[in-house]
Amino acid sequence: MKPTAWTESRQLKTCFSSITAAGLVMTMTQSVMAASEKGEESGGLPQLDFSTWPTQIFWLVVSFALAYLLMWRIVVPRIGSVLEERHNRIEDDLRRARQASDDAEQAREAFEKMLADARNDGNEMTRQAAESIMSKMERKVATANAALAKKMSEAEAEIAKARADALKEVSDIASTSAMDVVAQLTGMKVGKTDAKRLVKQAEKATS
Amino acid sequence: MHSPVEQFTIKALLHLELFGYDISFSNSALFMILAVLVSTIFLTFAMRGRQMVPGRMQASAEMMYEFISDMVSSNVGNAGRPYFPFVFTLFVFLLFGNMLGLIPYSYTFTSQIVVTFVLAAFIFVGVTLIAIFKHGFHFLTFFVPPGAPKVLIPFLIVIEVVSYFVRPVSLSVRLFANMLAGHTMLKVFAGLAVMITGAGGVYAPGAILPFLALVGLTGLEVLVAALQAYVFTILTCMYLNDAIHLH
Repeated sequence: MKPTAWTESRQLKTCFSSITAAGLVMTMTQSVMAASEKGEESGGLPQLDFSTWPTQIFWLVVSFALAYLLMWRIVVPRIGSVLEERHNRIEDDLRRARQASDDAEQAREAFEKMLADARNDGNEMTRQAAESIMSKMERKVATANAALAKKMSEAEAEIAKARADALKEVSDIASTSAMDVVAQLTGMKVGKTDAKRLVKQAEKATS
Repeated sequence: MHSPVEQFTIKALLHLELFGYDISFSNSALFMILAVLVSTIFLTFAMRGRQMVPGRMQASAEMMYEFISDMVSSNVGNAGRPYFPFVFTLFVFLLFGNMLGLIPYSYTFTSQIVVTFVLAAFIFVGVTLIAIFKHGFHFLTFFVPPGAPKVLIPFLIVIEVVSYFVRPVSLSVRLFANMLAGHTMLKVFAGLAVMITGAGGVYAPGAILPFLALVGLTGLEVLVAALQAYVFTILTCMYLNDAIHLH
């Protein structure tokens, strides 16, 4: 609070209480006067009968001291301890709730991590499976190709052999037919070996 | 017809004397002791369950405690903690005194100027001693408003000193006057109702009017009883704050 505002409020309060006090003194005087006018035997406000003051002061001190002792020693600690217990309990519950919330968050993160890992593993496995299938296929294709090539080369060799045999037979046929042609035309007998040699020469010359 | 202020008469129930002083146990003393016993029994009984979730009784006892606890901490701050039991006792004592006084045929000891003045004077002397103990001579600066023009300072010191010494008077008179006026008014209207009924005949039904007023006033007096206990207590807190923190 600002000092000036404080002073103002204090002065206002003083003013207020002075008015209350003044008003009260007037009321008191009036009632005293009214009572005396009526001729009451009490002669005014019983509060202003000073003979009753010592007993009231005495019993006020006794009862207020007793009240203070009872409140200070019994009531205040009792209520205070219950309030503190409740306060601690609420704090504790809040702390536990925060802990549980943190745990839940951690569990969620762990679960998400697990899910991501599983997804990665799955992808990896799919990739590996695809790779192994591809490599197997390639191997099979390669063996099949190799077998095919072998068969082809065998067939080619057979063909070549058959051709060579056929060609050999052709030269045989050529030499015998050449011997026959010579014998028919000239009546000369040509030896088989000569005929063969000549056919070979002719083959060489033509090829 | 009795005077409406006759209800405030002190009647000795048991004659006692101490060092020549009359300390008879009177109707006023009886209700002081009753206020102490009823409040202690109520507050202890209400807290007997020590429940985590309070019932109606426990909630009201806790409410009273927290009300005063908040009042002390917001008006005085942490330095006010040691005085909390006193302030709480003061509030409970006055509240139960005022409330018990509203029961018909009971006695309102807070309507006695001597009672309220002794309480106020005790508080006044107490806070002054606390201030002197805490601040020594520095306490005197309390009577010099900070930031005031130099020319005005002598006048302001006079005003401040007077206002300081008027405190116990205004504090005690406020409670006393409220109780005196309230109970007198209740008696006047009750007396009026009785008088009209006594007139008899066609006037008798008219007694309902002051009686209805009496019902309304009783409600108002319940409010005043609680309010004045609160005002007395919060002003005590403010004086305590002044003593501890000066300005």
